Amino acid sequence: MLEIIIYSAIIGIIGGGCIAAGAARMFHAPEIQAMGAFRTLGELNACNGDPIAHFSFGLGFFFSAAASTVAAGALSQDVMHRIVPNWSAAILLVKNPKPEETLQNPRKMMLAGAVVGGVLLVFLNTMARLIPEKLSLIASEVLTPATGWLLNPVMPAIFWLAAIDAGKVTGLWGTILGGVSALITGNAVPGIVLGILIGKSAEENGYKSKIVQVLIAIVVVMFIAIAYFRGFFGNF
Amino acid sequence: MENKTFGQKMDEFLMKDNTFILLFMGAAAAIFAGTYMYLNFNTGAFNDISIVAMLREGLDGGDYAAAAGFAAGFLIARILEGPLVGLLDIGGSLQTGVGIGIPALMLSMGFNLPFSNFFTALLTGAIIGLVISGIIMIIRKVVPDGVAVGGTSIMMGAGNATGRYLAPLIIVAACQYNVYTGIGAIVGSAIFYKWGKEITGGAILGAMIFGGIFL
Repeated sequence: MLEIIIYSAIIGIIGGGCIAAGAARMFHAPEIQAMGAFRTLGELNACNGDPIAHFSFGLGFFFSAAASTVAAGALSQDVMHRIVPNWSAAILLVKNPKPEETLQNPRKMMLAGAVVGGVLLVFLNTMARLIPEKLSLIASEVLTPATGWLLNPVMPAIFWLAAIDAGKVTGLWGTILGGVSALITGNAVPGIVLGILIGKSAEENGYKSKIVQVLIAIVVVMFIAIAYFRGFFGNF
Repeated sequence: MENKTFGQKMDEFLMKDNTFILLFMGAAAAIFAGTYMYLNFNTGAFNDISIVAMLREGLDGGDYAAAAGFAAGFLIARILEGPLVGLLDIGGSLQTGVGIGIPALMLSMGFNLPFSNFFTALLTGAIIGLVISGIIMIIRKVVPDGVAVGGTSIMMGAGNATGRYLAPLIIVAACQYNVYTGIGAIVGSAIFYKWGKEITGGAILGAMIFGGIFL
């Protein structure tokens, strides 16, 4: 248990600090490279300057993150995407209500993010370990079939339809690579994701563009390598 | 000039473009170590249930192709897109790419060294972060403006839609497992729906609470 607390604290402090600093840099992009997400930027702006709004926005996601951690050990993407940036902002804004000097300052956000990240990770990970074994057994008995169906066939269907709805070029790439991927790996999703990537890029930049050519090369090499290592060529 | 406080120097340092490399390394180390936590303590993976399930499938059945391929798609897309717009999406690049895809790739090749203890995991994550952020900074300096990699919004849309499907699937699975977990999942999801919260959480918690009391 002590191991989990120490490791979680280290992960939370390093990760929370860096992500929060990256989030503060979003307000200065594209002049400097930032990291976060456009939706995070939008949400941070939406709560503009109000610590209570930032805190309660993060709190909503905290509950769903806690449920998902208890059930499956998955912290959810929202821990880094939403809870850490918003709670860090809330802490800073209580002391100084000017976003330019707090939320948009990478150093202050880094310090606040390290604190929030450390506490949050220790809390979530120890809570997941504290629940009785019987409950986690029930959770995994329920979640295993559900996530199994999700992986196959629900996700392939969703991604496939998204590719088809995105136009002829993307739909064609998605269909072919998705089918190849289903043949080789047993799951169509990786192929469809790459098909969407290639198809949309080709549509926007043309096949003469370097990016499209590099993408196609990477994908072809990747599939041939996977097929080889999985013994796919022995099926003929 | 020489009278700057430490805080001011730090402010300046953190506003430099290349400092991104350090920040990304730290984030990558933390997220990769989070996956180490998940492998050893069954908690702490920085991703949603539906994506962590792909890694689980590999751990249980030895087939990592879905996790590696899916995550590689997002990682490649985000590495190409991030430097061009100046904002790297941490969901696709770090949480899915570094947290799920690269571990899946390493484990599928039998390369277990990074997961032998916590500190090798942190270090491996930092090295992965250095390589990826190095590539990002090179792309940022080399690729001219106006070239864009497309499709990320479609992938994101489909990815978000996937999460929505999980709740009904969990209710169905809970109903098939046992009558009590089924009733719990129905009650839990109904309450969470009424409250305007994510139904997935309500379904799981309801199934666990009812199952815990009556089983």
